[in-house]
Amino acid sequence: MKIIMELQDITKQYREKIVLENTSFSIYANQVVALVGKNGSGKSTLLKIIGGLVKPDSGVVHKYIQPLKIGYVPEVTPSHILFTPEEYLTHMGNIRGMAKGQIQQRIDNLIETFNLQDARKTRIEHFSKGMKQKVAIMQAMLEETDLLILDEPLSGLDPISQSDLEGILLILKERGLSVVLTCHETKLLENIVDRVLLIKDHQVIQTSSLQGSVNKGNRFIFAIATETSLEELLPFIEIQQERHLNSGVNEIEATVNQEDTDKILLELLKRGASIKQLIPIHRVEEGFYNHF
Amino acid sequence: MTGLLNYQLINYVRSYRYIPPFSVYIMALIVNYTYIPNPTLDSYSFTSLVLFFIMGWFTITIFHAEDEGQKQITLLHCKSLREYYLALFIICALIGFCLSCIYVAYPIVIGAFGVETRLLHIIMGLLSHFSLSIVAIALSAIFTRELVKNKGNTWWGVLSILIISVAIASFKSTILQVKGLIWLLPPVHLSLEMLSSKDSIKFIPGLFYWQFGWIFLYGFLFIGLFFLLIKHRRTN
Repeated sequence: MKIIMELQDITKQYREKIVLENTSFSIYANQVVALVGKNGSGKSTLLKIIGGLVKPDSGVVHKYIQPLKIGYVPEVTPSHILFTPEEYLTHMGNIRGMAKGQIQQRIDNLIETFNLQDARKTRIEHFSKGMKQKVAIMQAMLEETDLLILDEPLSGLDPISQSDLEGILLILKERGLSVVLTCHETKLLENIVDRVLLIKDHQVIQTSSLQGSVNKGNRFIFAIATETSLEELLPFIEIQQERHLNSGVNEIEATVNQEDTDKILLELLKRGASIKQLIPIHRVEEGFYNHF
Repeated sequence: MTGLLNYQLINYVRSYRYIPPFSVYIMALIVNYTYIPNPTLDSYSFTSLVLFFIMGWFTITIFHAEDEGQKQITLLHCKSLREYYLALFIICALIGFCLSCIYVAYPIVIGAFGVETRLLHIIMGLLSHFSLSIVAIALSAIFTRELVKNKGNTWWGVLSILIISVAIASFKSTILQVKGLIWLLPPVHLSLEMLSSKDSIKFIPGLFYWQFGWIFLYGFLFIGLFFLLIKHRRTN
């Protein structure tokens, strides 16, 4: 796989506080990489170093495509933009120094890709948060981009907007764009991310692929009458949490092996249980999500 | 730069943030010339002081007109912090110049002065209004969101520095006792002193040009200080 950027021994500190220390990793072409880690772990700083917005105190950033065109979407989505998408992108293009014809062609392209034809003449300040986030990504792609950097792209979006944006990111991935993003949304990680880089103790210490993870079983939540016995099912399920609800009903969260899932669910339904949620468990994810 | 200027200007116009300072500007103009005739240089002295305060107001609204998140994006596209703020200063100066011209021209147009207006009155009027505008822009920029995070501190800071600048005229004799101090303080008092000349003045003394020159230079030095502080903040 072709490497487009390589970071070697990157160290960065702010006011004596070390954020990153001797961190090294590579970014490959046509791959979506997620940077994860706890708040304040240095994810945004690393994104800015990748984007060339912040200089590392030491270490080298090698770019293997010249010039490597990078688009950056900051964490804070602008909320009061007093222009329509077309006006806004034209202004940003002019500020970048792009040629008029090139700007118009690119805007038409982007508006179609991001499915904003109907909102072309509406001021962005009246958009939903999801649509504003789309515009924020569009401005980062005004020029042909090799690498797109997104800082918390789904943060604060409702589920529909998240799905919508996830679809857009999938399209961009299919078009051969490399994407580096930070995120907390497990759904995005499951569906589009190729590689996960975990930042812990100022370093990128773990690299893994979620898409190669294996479904080892299911976690499920069900409500059942307090007096109903679950003794016969206990050898097959592992109860994680049990809560007493008001009307003599318990809500139980448990895990079950893949092969026993159907049988156990059927038994529970026969006993009058109501299944509230069923979630597949990926072992790689299990360990991985503990880092949030 | 043209793209950036165009964008910032349209953004400011659409933000409607200019309405409060512009309303006060118009009111001050109309109220000041309700009764005629008026002395020429005295009137210009008063309106240049009004404009001094109003330009502080305009400067803050211009610097804060863009959405905070959008500011980061615009900075990324223009690729130069210096260019970004230079565009804002140019817009402030353009507005300051236009408002100066209106303050100088309006009383002449409506015939509000008791004596015949001569070219030297117009030159002195323009120089005093525009030079004080530049100083107000420069002093106020130091208190904008890039350097002062708390919005309350921005407004108090601007108001305080502008009031102190004018108050210096009253305490000049005391200030002069400390050698060199007067050169550090905003030279608003120089404009007030020059405009206290009689309307019958025959020519503009050479010293006046030097003094106006110093007011402009003081403003530009403070704008330079703003860029230094911004650079220092960004690198730390």
